[in-house]
Amino acid sequence: MTALANLRLPTRRYALGAGFTTEALKFFKYWIAAALVLAFALPFAVAQWNDITISAWYYAANAGKWFTAFVSGGFLFVLVPNMIATGLTRRELAVSMGLFGVLWSLALGAIACAGLLAERASYAAMGWSHGIDANDAIAPIGSAAETAAFGAHYPLLYLVYFAAGALVGAASYRWESAGWLLLVPVLPVVFSLDNALYDTKPVGPGWAGFLGGLIGDWGRGLIIALLLATAAALAAAAYRILIDIPLRAKKA
Amino acid sequence: MSFTVNLRGVSLRYGSEDALADIDLDLEAGKIYGLLGRNGAGKTSLLSLLAAFRKPTAGDVLVGGEPVWENAPIVSRVALIREGGDFDDSDSVKAVIEAGQIRPSFDTEYALKLAERFDLPLKKKVRDLSRGKRSVLAAVTGLAARAELTMFDEVHLGMDAPTRDAFYKELLAEYMDRPHTVILSTHLIDEVANYLEEVVIVDRGRLLRHADIEAFQGMGATLTGPADAVDALGLAALAEQRLGGTKSITVADALDAPTRERAAAAGIEIGPVGLQDLFIHLTDPERKAA
Repeated sequence: MTALANLRLPTRRYALGAGFTTEALKFFKYWIAAALVLAFALPFAVAQWNDITISAWYYAANAGKWFTAFVSGGFLFVLVPNMIATGLTRRELAVSMGLFGVLWSLALGAIACAGLLAERASYAAMGWSHGIDANDAIAPIGSAAETAAFGAHYPLLYLVYFAAGALVGAASYRWESAGWLLLVPVLPVVFSLDNALYDTKPVGPGWAGFLGGLIGDWGRGLIIALLLATAAALAAAAYRILIDIPLRAKKA
Repeated sequence: MSFTVNLRGVSLRYGSEDALADIDLDLEAGKIYGLLGRNGAGKTSLLSLLAAFRKPTAGDVLVGGEPVWENAPIVSRVALIREGGDFDDSDSVKAVIEAGQIRPSFDTEYALKLAERFDLPLKKKVRDLSRGKRSVLAAVTGLAARAELTMFDEVHLGMDAPTRDAFYKELLAEYMDRPHTVILSTHLIDEVANYLEEVVIVDRGRLLRHADIEAFQGMGATLTGPADAVDALGLAALAEQRLGGTKSITVADALDAPTRERAAAAGIEIGPVGLQDLFIHLTDPERKAA
């Protein structure tokens, strides 16, 4: 964290939330740049031997969900002792993380959506099919408007993964050896909703999204509402764990 | 403004174990306190409650007259520096110092000045610092916090003797320049004794004694003189040292007038008791069992 310039008390939680976002984006800028270069260069390499029918950026954007979960969980795990020891209250830290989650998800979601649109233009120029692996069949994403609509869901998905990561990160700090077990209920819920939204298998252990097939027919509006409710529930659970979290004793 | 500290019926349990039990304690603002106790006595637990690192199982913890728990205007002006500091090891020393600016009162210029004085490499990662340098970084962030209640918990560990001496002097200079409440928790009792105004001793999770340093020193005496003459007084010694024909003993009881007269007549010098000797005596498990 650089150049904070002494923060004012009532608003420092918001300044910190914005600061976490800019610092995280700065810290991971080369990772994001590498994903961009790789996703855009790989199809040109593969095109030497095979037809290109599937979006490479789609995989990079989906990997961003895991990345987001690791960022939020990792940050929170480290920030709990650091921030509380620096005189921040748990409530202030929770608000900062909430703002960080929203801003990070918007920023990464914007990159994901813009990448899809840029990739669509690039694929169109090369005469390639811009599709996704929709449960074992290649389905075209569609027109530019449909691609934009497809990509517009990424901020929400990133937010859900951010909240899930924060919950597991907070639990892992609080219950040193058992906190990660919260993955057991969290992963199937998040994966199933992710699966249901796009009718695709999420990146990772796809079997964990087994409920996605059952709820995939409920309609996109309801699934989006469920994703919003899930993000809120995960955030509320993370807040509950965080609000009276004790700092661990130092080990010699 | 510096902070008072008030604990009322405070207990802290870790599972089924009492770390602190029924603690009542009042500390006036603007003094330097020594917090003493054997390993596991509850010193760190007590400090953790004052800094809202933990929530008490029972009782009230007031700092500056207000509950400290989740009280941003209070905790932002309370600094507890634990051994080795609470840092992200992947951060640079400079980043750790700058992170202190989360506190409205943090003095970055002062922190950088101290970093230079103590030879802290600003660009180095925390994980690459030696134990001593890491302790120095922790001490620097504590001093530069400019908090109203500053607590150092064994922060000197790993520092060499000249660095510790420089740290104590800087702490005292900062205290004189800006009176605030300071609590030093340490096992190097005689090393800090001259800086302390009051001493709090905890033992097995309970408050054993709280008094000003003169009262502690008056609880006993050190007698130095010819060995035969010292032995002839027949006093029960807590500790004794002998050099040639000269003997020095520490006793835990205040000397009565006749004993003082006999000692003076025998050429024995009477001085205040050493805080460390008294602490050892007061927390001796056999003494309490008896």
